[in-house]
Amino acid sequence: MSPRLYVDFVRRLGNMTLQVRLAIDTEILVLFGPSGAGKTQTLQAIAGLATPDSGLISLDDTIFFQRVPGKPVINLPARRRRIGYVFQQYALFPHMNALENVAFPLAGRRDARERAMELLERMHLAYLAHRMPHELSGGQQQRVAIARALATEPRVLLFDESFSALDRPIRERLHEEIRALQAEHRLIVVYVTHNLDDAFAVGHRLAVIRDGRIEQIGRIDDVFIRPANQRVLDILGIPNAIRARVVEVGPSGALLDWDGVALEAPLLNAPPGAQVMAYIRPEDIRLIYPDRPLSRIVGTNHLDATVVERRMGRHVHRLRVALPDGRQIEAVYPASSYATMSLAPGERVRLALRKESIVVIAVHSDPPPIEEEPRLDRAKCADGCPKSDPAPVSPSPS
Amino acid sequence: MNWPAFWLSLQVTAVASVIILVIGLACALLLVRVHFPLKILVETAIMLPLVLPPSVIGYYLLLAFGRGSPLFEWFNLRILFTWQAAVAASVVVGLPLMVQSSRAALANVDPVLENAARTLGASEVRIFWRITLPLARRGILAGMILGSARALGEFGATLMITGNIPGRTQTLPVAIYDAVQAQRYADAHLMVLVMTALAFAGLLLARQLEPPTPGRRADQSAKASV
Repeated sequence: MSPRLYVDFVRRLGNMTLQVRLAIDTEILVLFGPSGAGKTQTLQAIAGLATPDSGLISLDDTIFFQRVPGKPVINLPARRRRIGYVFQQYALFPHMNALENVAFPLAGRRDARERAMELLERMHLAYLAHRMPHELSGGQQQRVAIARALATEPRVLLFDESFSALDRPIRERLHEEIRALQAEHRLIVVYVTHNLDDAFAVGHRLAVIRDGRIEQIGRIDDVFIRPANQRVLDILGIPNAIRARVVEVGPSGALLDWDGVALEAPLLNAPPGAQVMAYIRPEDIRLIYPDRPLSRIVGTNHLDATVVERRMGRHVHRLRVALPDGRQIEAVYPASSYATMSLAPGERVRLALRKESIVVIAVHSDPPPIEEEPRLDRAKCADGCPKSDPAPVSPSPS
Repeated sequence: MNWPAFWLSLQVTAVASVIILVIGLACALLLVRVHFPLKILVETAIMLPLVLPPSVIGYYLLLAFGRGSPLFEWFNLRILFTWQAAVAASVVVGLPLMVQSSRAALANVDPVLENAARTLGASEVRIFWRITLPLARRGILAGMILGSARALGEFGATLMITGNIPGRTQTLPVAIYDAVQAQRYADAHLMVLVMTALAFAGLLLARQLEPPTPGRRADQSAKASV
């Protein structure tokens, strides 16, 4: 039986009650949610750095925490839980060099230095063993922190927004590293982030948390495609998730079949027939003026639709439209645009989905496995994967 | 130059410094780590010698060590009018500076580092010796130097409880007072110069030590991600 981390606790905090129930296998579970949702508190409860009010936290037969009616209270101190914890701000001991940091948990072992050196080598840092933390870059510091966390030979590894301060390329390399380590040591990994790209890059399963509650937990793509409720949709922040099939891949782009609607998408590394998960960036949807010539920017993916709802904002307006078959999509445009168009509910509009508006998140060449351990095929995603930078403000169409 | 007074002052200051270090660190730890009711009153009491007139401190010390006090009767501690009384006076006036500085230094050690050590299997005792103390050491040292400098300069209370016996309980500051009273100005000049130099060096050293403590909180990381 694979090790299983069982987490079920309640903790009252100042302005909310954290109520978490999770069963985590040998996998990478991403705990995703906005700041203040209770992510860090959850990790701290697992690690023993914060004490819940009641509940049960256990790893296989080892009870970390227990306070339930009719049973003795157990609260194993953090130092006895052997849980690796990688903090956001690296948390390296600033008065020790890299090697001493990694050797810290090995105190008392005769081979502490050799073992620490091995761990640094594993993280490709042996050549920096005698540097002080302030002489290392952020990415290097976090590698040392991971090596140090591994020194206790933990079965559980927790990442608390560990890479949020790092640049994207470094983050991507560390994500690869984590996936390799997880497989190598058969670790239970809980990875906390509020960044969806990170969640996709590293996770097997996704738990969406908000206001102290787990809203949904499941395979990352399932959560994405079948959000349990509106709150999850909002937390994910993505209104136009779609699932489509690759029809063909040409030199300049791919053609997708979205349940009968043909969509031109950017170039894609996937064979025809593959299923893709994608979303349509609301900011990249244009409306076509009925009485003006088409500009190049709106040359593709024309769809007829009916306005369902318009919400006015100070800077942008949001338009919810329905396609003839009832599917709805959301568009976002600058408040200054389309001033001459009537966009009242019921009005007919013609949309142009720019090619770049189709963002492919994941590709399944085969039908997704059902019994297998949940996984996303990262290799397919190496260059075209989630890139949801802040909304690009493209030339105003007005 | 009154050499016996000079050496006695050094002796008193050295002993007082050790006591200030131990008691001050214990007080600082107590104030940083333990939450108890009316803590503010305890804090204020520790700081009181900074602002009380020396005569008041001297009076309290006379009460504490005099005939009829618990220390005198039960512990048979008879130190009034000995050099140990000068040590006691020095400790009382030096302690607030030590507590203030080391307390800030201890509080400034990022709790995330201590939490990290906990998850790495370290006991609380080990965390204190290997993480907290090394990271707070500059502030602690600075506090001890400030406390020592203050101890070296202690005059009023010392005068009251040591009896100003030349060669036995007369410290340098008291000797200066004596010299001026007796109009031995050449003597006084030299001793004043020595005192000033020592105090200046002490303050300089303390200021060098104080500002950048390694391991200061990088930011509000603890709060940033809940």
